[in-house]
Amino acid sequence: MTETEERTGPPETLIEPIDMSKLDPKFRKEIHSMPNAEELSACFACTTCTAACPIANQWNYKPHQLIRMILLGMREEVLSSKEIWECLTCFQCQERCPQKVKVTDIFFDCKNLAAEEGIIPPNVLALGKSLIEKGQLYEVLNDWEREDLDLEAEVPGLNTDTIKEILRGTRTGRLVGGEK
Amino acid sequence: MPSYNLYMGCSVPANYPNYEAAMVRVAEALGMELNYMEGVACCGSPNLRAFDYFGWLVVNAGTIAIAEKNGYDIVTPCNGCFGSLKDVLTHLKHHKEDLEKVNVELKKHGLEMKGTVKVRHIVEAMYTDIGIEEIRKKIIKPLDGVGIAIHYGCHLLRPIEVTEFNPEVLQKMVEVTGAEVIDYPLWKQCCGATVLPVNEELAIRLARDKLKSMKEAGATFVTVVCPACGNQLDLQQIGLKDSYGEVYDLPVLLYPQILGLAMGMNEEAVGLEMNRVPADPILEHLTE
Repeated sequence: MTETEERTGPPETLIEPIDMSKLDPKFRKEIHSMPNAEELSACFACTTCTAACPIANQWNYKPHQLIRMILLGMREEVLSSKEIWECLTCFQCQERCPQKVKVTDIFFDCKNLAAEEGIIPPNVLALGKSLIEKGQLYEVLNDWEREDLDLEAEVPGLNTDTIKEILRGTRTGRLVGGEK
Repeated sequence: MPSYNLYMGCSVPANYPNYEAAMVRVAEALGMELNYMEGVACCGSPNLRAFDYFGWLVVNAGTIAIAEKNGYDIVTPCNGCFGSLKDVLTHLKHHKEDLEKVNVELKKHGLEMKGTVKVRHIVEAMYTDIGIEEIRKKIIKPLDGVGIAIHYGCHLLRPIEVTEFNPEVLQKMVEVTGAEVIDYPLWKQCCGATVLPVNEELAIRLARDKLKSMKEAGATFVTVVCPACGNQLDLQQIGLKDSYGEVYDLPVLLYPQILGLAMGMNEEAVGLEMNRVPADPILEHLTE
């Protein structure tokens, strides 16, 4: 931690009260039914995930808090948080959870729900657009580099038709199409 | 001669043809037959998984289904592709109802995934199928005394029940070249590549933390087995001069480049001039 400024407000342990009327009791069930979220409610907020996270120190919502927020039903706050998109997907939290809560996978579930509601960072949406239009995230632009190394100029076997067609029919297509 | 389905993904052929060339040459010298897969493209990366889980399942199941036609295992040089393919394979093996839904989509493209091939990282295939003793016989220019820090990459190591990758594999593959593996505190930490699209400053900080930890532990080289990790640790070093006022001069070599050099290949053969941080010290060592 690098916070060295003097504290002016109340201690950080005193947080804003949670508005109970805004809680969505169905949220935990919604996440629970998504891939690898079976152990969600086994979380007892031990904060091991947060200790394992290399970037939690700069997050407003720490990993263990996000899990708790899901359990409480703070749907709007979780799905609109920047934290779920900044998750490195390094799986260190998930590896260390003593309760086998698949924290990283659950954040993937949150991102899918957010995307379904149209909440997606522009640069991430741009990657979806690249997949729909080019079938790839990176294209060979300098084929002379490949030839210099005695590789074929075009990647052998590459065919982008299938991935483009698949993704036009799934959420990627809806997200990218909806942007126009 | 063991045969494989080679899945390149998009990043290695586009950004790191030196990785591709070194891998192909080393594999050939080790007697591995790598067949470029026909009809495949990008895995979508963890980004696709984040905004379109089902699309990610179908795309990667399609790649696995193509490999099942000849039955050879899939090998890939990219941790992102490895993680995506192996996670999808594992998920669909354990969730038959999802496999059925995925196969409905694949049928439209004349494909069906059954789950009969394995997904493997190329380094693990070299280690397991060729073996350390056979590889040792091919080392003619040992990298004796060179201190190498290994960056494994998150999606090679975790989640372990998906990747099933033992870190010792890469450690032994480095040691067989004669180099010394340098332990450093942040060996498990992320390079930051995945956060580049949403927070570049954070991505740079993570790369810097890794490089600092490696340098302080006494590494003279870094080796990686993923184009995204390689990009972070190699290319970002150039920018660290401006953003942090720090110069690391830590050459980052893709693992097959190191093995290739130790097997007597020259710098052109392993594409060393494409590495951003000049790898001169390793060449000086080899010509001594």
